[in-house]
Amino acid sequence: MQKTDHVIDLAGYKKEDLTVCLGCKICASVCTVNDLSISTSPQELLQTLFLGKDISADNPLVRYCTGCYRCTQACPWDIRIPEIVRALRDVLATGSPFEKAFKGSLDIWGRVYEPYVLLKAVPFLIKEGYLKHMNRWIEYMGIHLPHKVKKINPSNNSNGQKGGTL
Amino acid sequence: MNYGYYPGCSLTGSAHKLDKGVRKVLEKQGHVLKEIPDWNCCGAFEYGDRNELTNFSKRNLEKARGLFSEIIAPCPACYKNLKEADENNEFEIQHPLDLFGEAFLSSMKQVHDLKGNVFTPYYGCILLRPRETAITNKTVMEDTISRFGGEIASEKVKDKCCGGNQIFINKFATEKLSRLILEKSKGTLVVFCPLCHMALKTFSGDRKVIYFTDLLLYIMGEKNTL
Ligand code: SF4
Ligand code: SF4
Repeated sequence: MQKTDHVIDLAGYKKEDLTVCLGCKICASVCTVNDLSISTSPQELLQTLFLGKDISADNPLVRYCTGCYRCTQACPWDIRIPEIVRALRDVLATGSPFEKAFKGSLDIWGRVYEPYVLLKAVPFLIKEGYLKHMNRWIEYMGIHLPHKVKKINPSNNSNGQKGGTL
Repeated sequence: MNYGYYPGCSLTGSAHKLDKGVRKVLEKQGHVLKEIPDWNCCGAFEYGDRNELTNFSKRNLEKARGLFSEIIAPCPACYKNLKEADENNEFEIQHPLDLFGEAFLSSMKQVHDLKGNVFTPYYGCILLRPRETAITNKTVMEDTISRFGGEIASEKVKDKCCGGNQIFINKFATEKLSRLILEKSKGTLVVFCPLCHMALKTFSGDRKVIYFTDLLLYIMGEKNTL
């Protein structure tokens, strides 16, 4: 069960901030996911969330939202839909191997060390057919050693639970 | 002018060319860039908890406090995250594109011009949206290209999404979105975002994809940056 309030809270909103949605669907008409020939509607996602119904990890926005903010730019209320999608991805734990490696790198060094992220994601990269692009990437990849950042002091962290992982 | 500099992770790795470009261009114009000491990753867009994400950049701002009042962040994601973390507007967080305005261009030492070259300026998403953190100079690439005699093509693609964010999640999505931009544009693509650069370059074939700083460096006299 996804708790509507929890998702909205993770996205940095309060429920009343989103009740202004007019249902005008301008967001749906400009959404980048449509360019993938996949029809989708941020407005419906908001509505489903509001009704307290579950949203599945297969929802096209949960899967393909690129975080382009076209919807936000077009929305009369500047509603930040990509941030709601990111909160949903968090709750649904949809992180790809790549995203996990990204966070893993932050846990170790406090920075993204690209060779580590790529190595960690190797099985995924092979399976998904990325290796043919490797030559291209090597053309401009910079090779350097990782740099470790000093620990974040957990007391700096306002919610006291997450975010103190560095 | 002295600036605090926040390169961010990709500029220390795959976008090292952009890092060198920004440093060189600004240093040539007499600016001094000093890295924020012990900076950490800004979290990019990988955290669904907004508070958690903002805390990464708040730590960076703490590290800058007392040392710098103006901070330059070239990566669009870093720039956006830093700006959002600066809730009380304590710092002036700037994107390099906002520095390359009329005053900068007219004081630039020009060696080469761009005559005979066709360029598609491509900004992508986060530099132009959302409103609160978008750059203010939204025609800076076009202004530069036309001022130095280059031809501008395909202005309509400038704010389309290349899908860079999805490149390691759903490759087909990035491939399709990037190819749309490549097909609808002409000449050399000029970008600023490391992720756009990676996405477009991955699928660009023989088409050239350069950083805007490469273009500036060429005008200023460097060879082979176009
Ligand atoms: S940010 Fe996501 S939901 Fe909004 S227009 Fe872009 S792809 Fe669609
Ligand atoms: S554009 Fe904004 S107000 Fe209109 S339906 Fe979408 S989210 Fe609601």
